[in-house]
Amino acid sequence: MTRQTITLDTLEQGQELSRRSFVKGLGLGAAVAGCALVGDVQTAAANSTATNGAEDEAVGVLIDLTRCSGCHACALACKTANNRPQPDVAPAQLDSGAYSFIDTRTLANGDEAFVKRQCMHCLHPACVSACTVGALRKTAEGPVVYDSEKCIGCRYCQYACPFGVPTYEWDNVLGLIHKCEMCFDRQAGGEQPACVAACPNGALRFGKRGHLLAQAKAQIASTPDRYIDHIYGEHEVGGTSMLYLSDIPFAQLGFPTFGETTVSGNAESMMQLTPALAAAVATVATGLHLIFRRRQQVAEFNLRQSKKANQE
Amino acid sequence: MSTKSISWQEKPLLPQAVAGKDWIIGILAFLALMGVTAGVGRLFMGLRASTALSDSTSWGIWIGFDFGLIAFAGAGFTMAAVVHVFHLEQFHRALRPALLVGLLGYMGVLALLVLDLGRPDRFYHFLLYYNLHSPLFEISWCVLLYSTVLMIEVSPDFLRFLPWRWPMRAAQALIVPVSIIGVTLSTLHQSTLGTLYLNMPHRLQALWYTPLLPLLFYVSSIMAGLSLSILAYKAACRLRGAAADRDLSAGLGKGLLWIGIIYLLLKVGELTWANEWALLLDGGYGRLWLLEMAAGVLLPLVLLSRATWRRAQFVQIAAPLLVLGGVLLNRFDATLFAQLFPAGAPVYSPHILEWLSTIGILAAAALAWLLCVRFIVRDEEHAH
Repeated sequence: MTRQTITLDTLEQGQELSRRSFVKGLGLGAAVAGCALVGDVQTAAANSTATNGAEDEAVGVLIDLTRCSGCHACALACKTANNRPQPDVAPAQLDSGAYSFIDTRTLANGDEAFVKRQCMHCLHPACVSACTVGALRKTAEGPVVYDSEKCIGCRYCQYACPFGVPTYEWDNVLGLIHKCEMCFDRQAGGEQPACVAACPNGALRFGKRGHLLAQAKAQIASTPDRYIDHIYGEHEVGGTSMLYLSDIPFAQLGFPTFGETTVSGNAESMMQLTPALAAAVATVATGLHLIFRRRQQVAEFNLRQSKKANQE
Repeated sequence: MSTKSISWQEKPLLPQAVAGKDWIIGILAFLALMGVTAGVGRLFMGLRASTALSDSTSWGIWIGFDFGLIAFAGAGFTMAAVVHVFHLEQFHRALRPALLVGLLGYMGVLALLVLDLGRPDRFYHFLLYYNLHSPLFEISWCVLLYSTVLMIEVSPDFLRFLPWRWPMRAAQALIVPVSIIGVTLSTLHQSTLGTLYLNMPHRLQALWYTPLLPLLFYVSSIMAGLSLSILAYKAACRLRGAAADRDLSAGLGKGLLWIGIIYLLLKVGELTWANEWALLLDGGYGRLWLLEMAAGVLLPLVLLSRATWRRAQFVQIAAPLLVLGGVLLNRFDATLFAQLFPAGAPVYSPHILEWLSTIGILAAAALAWLLCVRFIVRDEEHAH
């Protein structure tokens, strides 16, 4: 009888003990998770204030495709400005040797159309969100810039970019990523991007994104037969700093169709859960360990007692 | 003098290395050596000369096997949780082989990652430059920290060769807290591998792209972990010439069955929720999805569904192999087969150096595992 009582006492004490430490663990975990969430809310708030209104003040380029004659002057000037090889050969695609090119497209009716391609300088760039080491950065001024000193060449940015813009230096033993930076260094010196300065047809206009959007809308309103009623980049993937006007629907020109949400939204909300998830898993695992270890100890104790009883 | 040389000649290089199957050691060593040559060659060649990668397919079989191998190495955290969190003592004998799979798996992962990096000389940059939004940044940190955890978890088997006792005592005192940290780190980065693909809604085919990807990657890593734990336990017993406990493998098989059912429900539920059933009839992608689910999930679950079947030797080998194949195919689908490429993108057909280096790294990990289990890591029953 006494033996039985001891066992029960131990059992209850044990359960009480494990329950108490489990609750304590939970409290600690909740505190950590709470701090993490507060931190997230704060960064989220900081992000939204940084982008509200500031987006319109940041610079961009308005590309009027109806004025493009396909002369390649922009693409050649781009090569020269960025010290790319063969500066007098017009590029036919984006690669580590060309940050911009004129995409010559044959339409269904046999006509040719020219589309200047380069980095779209998204307002919420997925490449910046994805980059392992933060080598890509959206500047307050507008351009998405690249720090070649940080880059490890993982090429995740190539998958995250919805426009297939970043390119890798495949021929180099120690390769890096290459992309248009909207001539960020030229802008610092008070100059326009090289492509804008080189265009002989006035198809490229550099300025504050808010102004460019207003001008583009005014152009569509005043000459509705010249343009389709769509400014590509106003809303796509949350908006881009490069904006396009066209007389041909963008889907026919090889522009991908996107909604207004950023590509990296799902991943970012998951990443923000990381501290809370870590705290929760560690807490639950510790709690389970304490409970199951206690059960095991009690079971072993009971087994020993019953063996002893049998021997006696 | 003459007797000495005779005895040297008669002595095999590795006495009873793999239960009398030394040729396995020979083949693995040969493949590993070839892999090292190919890998070192790649580091001096650059990616154009050594791979078939391009701007439209800039991740190839290195990344596919890498992400598959991370799931396989989930054997370490899965068994650590079974033994040190849930205290299911009856599975203790399967713990050490699984932890060793985990550690060597992550060594292989690191080797593959370094080969794939454009700047392998900067592999440590994630320690210096932070991007808290980046899934790859988090994965890098977790893999680094978790490799340390695995080294501590495996260390008792090696510390017993030391003349001092205190390192062993320290390692044993740390084992439970370190295991819990390991389970936490694994939960984070196994799920973050799924988050990694959330950044490419425009590139991943709709049957695979879902906000549930982090959860799916996590659950499937437990499936792969349990499967490899079963196979590692059986292989370890064979290497030591000991009889494998059928009930132990059957018990892990039961766990695999339940986790597999959860995975199946998540996959099918996601398809229903996203209203994507029609996509299954839509040509190649639909067939690929069905193959992945039928061969890698449904068939092994059927094999494991009855208690008597779970005890059968055939099921204990076939079901884990099918699950591992299915998880590897899932990672390859996400990385390559279910990726949408721009029109006119060159078709990726892996370069011979990509194959040789990948096979070599896997062979080196397998070889190290065989030798450690045979000569260093002790059977739990003898250790106690």
